[in-house]
Amino acid sequence: MATIPHDHIELSLENSLDHCIKCNICTAACPVSAVTDLFPGPKYVGPQAQRFRKPGQPTPDESVDYCSGCRVCNEVCPTGVRVMELNTRAKAAIVEQNGVPLRTWLLGYQYLFGKLACGPLAPLANVGARNPLLRMLVERTVKIARNAPLPTFSTYSFRSWFKKRPKQQAAPTKKKQVVYFHGCSTEYYEPRVGQAAVEVLERNGFEVILAKQGCCGLPLLSNGAFKPARSHHEYNVEQLLPYAQQGIPIVGTSTSCTLTLKEEAPELLGMHETAVRLVSENTYDIFEFLRMLHQRGELNTNFKPLNRTMPYHAPCQLRAHNLGRPALDILELVPGLQLNESNAACCGLAGSYGYKAEKYQIAMDVGAGLFEFVRASGSDTAVCDSEICRWQIAHGSGLTMRHPIEILRQAYGDE
Amino acid sequence: MRDTVVIGAGLAGLMGALALADAGHRPLLLAKGQGATHWTSGTIDVWGAADGSLREAITGLVASNPQHPYARTGFASLEAAVARFRALTEAARYPYVGSFERNVLLPTALGALRPAAFFPATMAAGDMRLPGPVLLAGFHELRDFFPPLAAANLAAQGIDARGTYLNLPPIKRKLDFNTRSFAQLFDDPAFREDVGRQLRAARGDATRIGLPAVLGLKDPLAVVGHLQQLSGAQVFEIPTLPPSMPGVRLYTIFRDALVKAGARIQIGAEVLRGAAANGKLNAVFSAAAAREQEHHASTWLLATGGIAGGGVRTDYTGAVWETALGLPLRAPTGRGEWFAPRFLNEAGHPIYQAGIATNEQLRPLDESDTVVYKNVAIAGAALAGCDPIRERCYSGMALATGWHAGQLLAGANE
Amino acid sequence: MQTINTDVLVIGGGATGVGVLRDLALRGIRAVLVEKGDLTHGTSGRYHGLLHSGGRYVVKDPQSATECAHENEVLRRIMPHCLEDTGGLFVVTPADDESYADRFVAGCRATSVPVNEISVREALRREPLLNPRISRVFEVRDGSADSFLAAHVNAEDAVRHGAQVCTYHVVKALMREGDRITGAVCENMRTGEDVHIHTSYIVNAAGAWAGKIAELAKVKVTVVPGKGTMVAMNHRVLNTVVNRCKMPADGDIIVPIRTVAVIGTTDVHVPDPDVFGIEAWEVERMLSEGEQLVPGISRARVLRAWAGVRPLYKDQDVADDRDIPRTYKLLDHETRDGVKGMISIVGGKWTTYRMMAQEAVDAVAQKLGVQAECRTHLEPLPNIGDWGQGKPVTSGQAVRPLTSTADLPPPAYFWMGEPLAHVEAADSYGNLICECELVTRDRVVQAITTGRASNIDDIRRDTRLGMGPCQGGFCTYRAVALWNEFKRGTLPAPSQAAASGGEPEPASHSVALLRHFLQERWKGLTAITWGDQLRQARLDEIIYLDTLGLDLLPAPTPTDQNAPEMVTAHPAIATEYHAM
Repeated sequence: MATIPHDHIELSLENSLDHCIKCNICTAACPVSAVTDLFPGPKYVGPQAQRFRKPGQPTPDESVDYCSGCRVCNEVCPTGVRVMELNTRAKAAIVEQNGVPLRTWLLGYQYLFGKLACGPLAPLANVGARNPLLRMLVERTVKIARNAPLPTFSTYSFRSWFKKRPKQQAAPTKKKQVVYFHGCSTEYYEPRVGQAAVEVLERNGFEVILAKQGCCGLPLLSNGAFKPARSHHEYNVEQLLPYAQQGIPIVGTSTSCTLTLKEEAPELLGMHETAVRLVSENTYDIFEFLRMLHQRGELNTNFKPLNRTMPYHAPCQLRAHNLGRPALDILELVPGLQLNESNAACCGLAGSYGYKAEKYQIAMDVGAGLFEFVRASGSDTAVCDSEICRWQIAHGSGLTMRHPIEILRQAYGDE
Repeated sequence: MRDTVVIGAGLAGLMGALALADAGHRPLLLAKGQGATHWTSGTIDVWGAADGSLREAITGLVASNPQHPYARTGFASLEAAVARFRALTEAARYPYVGSFERNVLLPTALGALRPAAFFPATMAAGDMRLPGPVLLAGFHELRDFFPPLAAANLAAQGIDARGTYLNLPPIKRKLDFNTRSFAQLFDDPAFREDVGRQLRAARGDATRIGLPAVLGLKDPLAVVGHLQQLSGAQVFEIPTLPPSMPGVRLYTIFRDALVKAGARIQIGAEVLRGAAANGKLNAVFSAAAAREQEHHASTWLLATGGIAGGGVRTDYTGAVWETALGLPLRAPTGRGEWFAPRFLNEAGHPIYQAGIATNEQLRPLDESDTVVYKNVAIAGAALAGCDPIRERCYSGMALATGWHAGQLLAGANE
Repeated sequence: MQTINTDVLVIGGGATGVGVLRDLALRGIRAVLVEKGDLTHGTSGRYHGLLHSGGRYVVKDPQSATECAHENEVLRRIMPHCLEDTGGLFVVTPADDESYADRFVAGCRATSVPVNEISVREALRREPLLNPRISRVFEVRDGSADSFLAAHVNAEDAVRHGAQVCTYHVVKALMREGDRITGAVCENMRTGEDVHIHTSYIVNAAGAWAGKIAELAKVKVTVVPGKGTMVAMNHRVLNTVVNRCKMPADGDIIVPIRTVAVIGTTDVHVPDPDVFGIEAWEVERMLSEGEQLVPGISRARVLRAWAGVRPLYKDQDVADDRDIPRTYKLLDHETRDGVKGMISIVGGKWTTYRMMAQEAVDAVAQKLGVQAECRTHLEPLPNIGDWGQGKPVTSGQAVRPLTSTADLPPPAYFWMGEPLAHVEAADSYGNLICECELVTRDRVVQAITTGRASNIDDIRRDTRLGMGPCQGGFCTYRAVALWNEFKRGTLPAPSQAAASGGEPEPASHSVALLRHFLQERWKGLTAITWGDQLRQARLDEIIYLDTLGLDLLPAPTPTDQNAPEMVTAHPAIATEYHAM
């Protein structure tokens, strides 16, 4: 069965190419075509090439593979063309034609490595993952860039921390419950982000529920491996649906996971079932959730002053939520804290793009301006909502990277 | 959280946001995408048809056409807006020159002489009333600027002009070029060195050299200076097909100034509808992943543009509507009335006059001239009674109405 | 004055005319073709691009159905690179009389039109946007045809075999000696010069204009121009030709052709093939009928509307215009009217053009005493413009002598992604002049330097430049600039083109070219411009007014002695370009 959906004319996706007026605003904004001419730009590979693609025929263009999927084109398009989604479906057509490459399997199932290496074996695994010889070998065989920033396996997993902590009091009402979607990175690499999130939510009187959950499937989805991506999303919907049905918000700190649950998986895979929609509508990025509390006057704003100035980068995946800058909106309530936002379109890594050997340098070139910005800030720490972008910025600039929730956690001080 | 919201990121919205920021507000600017700045030439066109003084032309227009947007702002607001605009661009090392005394004639990429009141200093030597032979130079790799054609048409109008192509200096990029990639290349001094040498060799008796408006994004004035020094001639820019680099520069200057002043800019947020009570707009809802985002404010500035900008939309039944708030429009009835038979019809096409009618305070009016929302002001091409492209007043009108609306709203908030 | 001597003069540069010319040339008969516009300037360039399976006529016009079914198979073998094998469906929608379906199937059997009923489920699997409420579906061998390319390859092959093509040559009078037509006085519309063509025989293949040509011979041929208006959607809403399963009527077919889907068509008899416009009701009819096939289609983006005139030949014995059959007719004016030296080939469909040409040339050959037999069904057409998967199908590939069409190699059809695949293979995406239709600089330069182009609209017919969503917004300036550079000898030409060519041209000609093409595009836009397309039109206006100041450049007027006149301003075709 074909895995690439063909939307009905009244649904936006396939049809959104009709909105293109060829104005080139996306071409002028694309961070990838700015640094390489292997990528002909979003107008060309998106709405333009789409008029020449036909289901069931050989894919006429391979250059779409150089789209990083950062969605800057979608953001700047004045007419509402879903360029990135068109591109991803075109990539899926290539995958359907040629099969899922080994590299996509590795990038898509990297959480399995996390499962193995996170814990007491982490130090050993980290040494292995940083072994230049091994990385060289991996680059030669599966074309994963030897210099791309691999995260550090944690010596404990987030869920193990959560289970071990003293039992918290159950919330008096469902209204004060949230499901926390931690994602793979918090679980295996950065449990401190999840710890901060849990503590912040609890400071606001919420009982945090840790539902069963799997990888959101984005690395598979963005590489056009729609079939396995669909089963990932189906699993998560199944796990999260009971909470969504009760109106319990699902809150995540990985802005790419929340975006996938909200929009990317349903749209790209054409999953328009009620269950999928319910989960989508009940999913929140954590600062979106906190900002909502604040708008209702329910946010605990009992902040300690943090006299710091730090650079902040709003990652593409956060911007794709179309919510503005929720982290800045909340963190500007903290006395003494100043976050200076970068104007960079993208850090370059864009999910799994910068991990590919042939795209590593493109990703570094895309991020160059951002690295320069954070280095020039004079701060030793920079802030960003997306884990992969944090790894890339740290790799490119040498700064310590923090999720904004970690900063907010600090602002609440110790109890 | 923010007391004023500006909808639209074209020149009118940006200028309105600047007026608000100047008055101490921290506006939130929402826009569906990048706007008309990126499509237009980057000059400030006040009134194309003005024969002599623009002050007189606008004053005359205000008297003779009380429905025109300029009649809402008056000349004084236009003058103040341009002054503020020039201060802004000057501070960003991208000064605008020109005057209200008269339009200058700048060459286009087709070789027409286009009137403009104010223009970036990087275009100043292109004033075609200045004496001196002109060389137009470009690159075969750039599809959006053809010097021989432009020069031929200039020559046909009695201007001593010649067109030539330069060789692309040795660079990494091989396949794909557009105005943005050339602008990036011109930011590199080594690239300019090579181009400058070629210009000197090709210059002949020309005292002025016109190049496509791609002379850098970071510091175009310095790029022009550098090329002048290398070529030994005055250098000026000529606008190209979209995307317009002068437009991109303008947007960037506004963005940086606004963010510095505490404004927040949210591009990618299409406003879908509003919620109102008692003649006041209380909230708008913008498109976001999974569900709409709700915004609250006490005052609002709508600058979503006309047909091109996306503020006014139409369909095959002949319906014409305002896209963000569903405000009443003045528009020709029925598709049969929309167009003139000739594409280049001098009076333009009636549909492009469609827009929102306002009172003196730029507040939107319904069919019976009653104010719809007293806390909403309208600016830019969303206004009825004007075809800003045909009248060649798009940018002047956008600055004047944006500034005026911003000031009115700032005053209303106090 | 110029004089040309030839054996046969073909009048009309549409599908039939070029088909006749090629047939003559392949039989070794000297021939010249004259056309008052560019090739396919008339009806052939203004139809929806359907390669008929014959299905549409099985009930109403069985003879035409059989002819279509036969020629469908021939064309698939000789010009696959001009055809897309889309397949076709006849669907019964809730608005259609269900009893027609059985008559349709019986008709197919009776006329030898291959048909196969498939399940609704299967039809929806193939075409998910199709109306899910259809009740029956029949599969036929419809396809879509690039009629511009088809005419060009026919003409090109004829020229390679010694024929001559004169575009922008209008026939002013026919020469006559007693009861015999001996030639034609033409005007070369580009130069204003008269051209006398002396010939043994004339084939009147002027389509909807055939009556006007016959008049010059004082012969009465009644051709009723049947105007059909078509609407092109911005993208391929469907990938299969879809017909309503009912008696042919307005708006009952959607043809996916190249990058667009065309809804066709109305049928309005007009008094003059040169004067007609697109009415608002016609566009609305297309869209509302289109809704029956693809719900929601009227809210999708429409790219353009255009109209063409069918050449409906009215025999003396047809009382009602609506019953005029769609078959063709060969008129021998010697036996019919007592006028020697001329035949007319009238009526017919694009799909049957070759068969019509064959019949006409058989008659001419007999008159001339030429023995050679028709070979147009045996010799594949040449591949120009690099289409056909880059592998031209030539007769050289056949091992044994060809005796039937079936001996030709299996067809290598044009496929939808082909232009994109070409651009990708050559990494030429930075060289696109028309970005929407992927027309590279090299192809535009080739059309300028080696083609017969007199204006940008002619280049459009050669290359599809300006036919995409922006309708010339970005590419008109670029194409005119290249034209200007060619005329000034400054164009860096690709290897196959002349380094410099043409006579020097004043700069004002570039203004005229720009104005002409933008106006030509505008003509097809006013009837369908709303929504996204209106936004596009406004952006195009920003480009030509704000950025380029086209309106500020003096427009050349015909009274201006120094201004070169556009050939399209010639009275012979001017109404064409200026009619609204």
